[in-house]
Amino acid sequence: MILKKLDDYRFVIPKSFQEGMKVEGLIYANDELIIAIEKDQTLTQVANVATLPGLVGRSLAMPDAHQGYGFAIGGVAASDIEKGVVSAGGVGFDINCGVRLLASNILLDEAKPKLDALLNKLFRDIPCGTGKSGIIDLSFEQLDEVLKKGASWAVENGYGTLSDLDHIEECGTLVSADPKEVSHRAKQRGRDQLGTLGSGNHFVEVQYVKEIFDEETAKVFGLHLDQIVVMIHSGSRGLGHQVCTDYLEEMQEAMLKYGIKVVDRQLACVPIKSQEGQRYLKAMAAAANFAFANRQMMSHWTRQAFKSILKSSELRLVYDVAHNIAKEETHSVGGRVLVHRKGATRAFPKHRPEIPKDYFNVGQPVLIPGSMGTYSYVLVGTERAMAETFGSTCHGAGRAMSRHAAKRNASAEELIHQLKEKGIHVRGASKSGLTEEKPEAYKDVSAVVDVVHNAGIARKVAKMIPIGVIKG
Amino acid sequence: MYSNAALGLIFVIAGTSKIESLVERTMTIPAIDRENLLVRWLTEVLFLYDAEKFLTAAIEFEVLNDTLLKAKILGEPFNARKHKLRLDIKAITYHQLKIEEHSGIWTARVFVDI
Repeated sequence: MILKKLDDYRFVIPKSFQEGMKVEGLIYANDELIIAIEKDQTLTQVANVATLPGLVGRSLAMPDAHQGYGFAIGGVAASDIEKGVVSAGGVGFDINCGVRLLASNILLDEAKPKLDALLNKLFRDIPCGTGKSGIIDLSFEQLDEVLKKGASWAVENGYGTLSDLDHIEECGTLVSADPKEVSHRAKQRGRDQLGTLGSGNHFVEVQYVKEIFDEETAKVFGLHLDQIVVMIHSGSRGLGHQVCTDYLEEMQEAMLKYGIKVVDRQLACVPIKSQEGQRYLKAMAAAANFAFANRQMMSHWTRQAFKSILKSSELRLVYDVAHNIAKEETHSVGGRVLVHRKGATRAFPKHRPEIPKDYFNVGQPVLIPGSMGTYSYVLVGTERAMAETFGSTCHGAGRAMSRHAAKRNASAEELIHQLKEKGIHVRGASKSGLTEEKPEAYKDVSAVVDVVHNAGIARKVAKMIPIGVIKG
Repeated sequence: MYSNAALGLIFVIAGTSKIESLVERTMTIPAIDRENLLVRWLTEVLFLYDAEKFLTAAIEFEVLNDTLLKAKILGEPFNARKHKLRLDIKAITYHQLKIEEHSGIWTARVFVDI
């Protein structure tokens, strides 16, 4: 075996694995998950990332890692702020694809009789599915405001309350955003997509809290057994995709100027301090703000549905985290660095200034969505994550099967029936979209979460089970 | 090959929907090499769909070499009564991109992010 096993949950990719590796790779996995990870190109991609200039620490992969484009999904890489590079591919096409969790004051038994009506309303009110436009018509000037202000724009326009903002990563606004660095083309793609769920793995799920692992922290997060919660998973839609596409192109050309060569074109990168690097980071922040506003608007419609069907207006925002983002942070390893998280979650521990004051004494909530028929988790950030993973942990179950393979021999009707037998009601815009997301297409989320928990790079707080799913 | 790649992309997005050549667009794309040109070209075709809901039906090239493409694109706006959308595509990638020629026949493999 090429990998060096450090302990039950850590596997090192030595620099000898591939020519040009400047740092080692480190995979978090158990003996079973590492076999799945070795099956595709994840190891090579983690090693490829380790060849980038100015990388500090190790090139990391979480237990949900799988092959991506250039960077593995589930990857974390930190670059020295002075000598390092930024890569648009290191964030990915769906900039600030992320998750938020809303907690109700309703118990499972109270919600069950009205579940179908609730799902019907959510499915009607939240635009979802392929090619679906939003219900608001933004001018380009208004869109620029969204890109500057993020979730704050949504709150100012009646979608949610000011207190929501405290419970969003970066309070829902990356202040470095500059709409001028977002191309007109990206704005054209995104203009009618604000307030839409999208398709693919994006979802709105009604879940209930099935198990509490850490009573004290769960209490601080406002979570308790049998409580109905809602998880929303979506991103920056066509706007973010185009920002990534535009800057991948620009970085490819600029690399020639800076004398940077990469082993995979999808890893195109430029010095962080370069004009191109700074422009990308401002555009990326703008796209991230679009995603924060997007999830904020969908939360508003979810609250309206709860009010109308369940006669409950309380749906408190527990937290909102980004899964695809690059951020300048200070860490004990590397000092001031740019952390690329591609399919990874920030997992800061207690007493960090970046986390909400309500959670200051316990740590940042980490939201891990599972696949359609399985569990989702709330974890909390740890000191060990700060020391080892630039304050990062896993982001989900991770695909085990390609979308194409998942669709083979799969019937949407049968899947809906099977899920209903398990008490999970589904509304989906597309039948093929549903089968692509069938539970078997993903790794076991519990195994993934157990690895990060046992490795100490996040700690389990609560487990949720879906009872209703809205799929794009 | 460039034409079929574009039509293949539209097939992935809109399936076998009948798309007619009702509207004409023109496009000029410079590139640094052949692979770059293919990705940029498909990105344009995707952009026409995602930003303007324009579905490509046919392409006439005026200039086509490794670093420049000038084309007339024929197609029509998406019409929900006529066309059925199958899949959202986020982007065209360079992942394992391959362009090959065997006995005068060009083939390309392109992965798209969905």
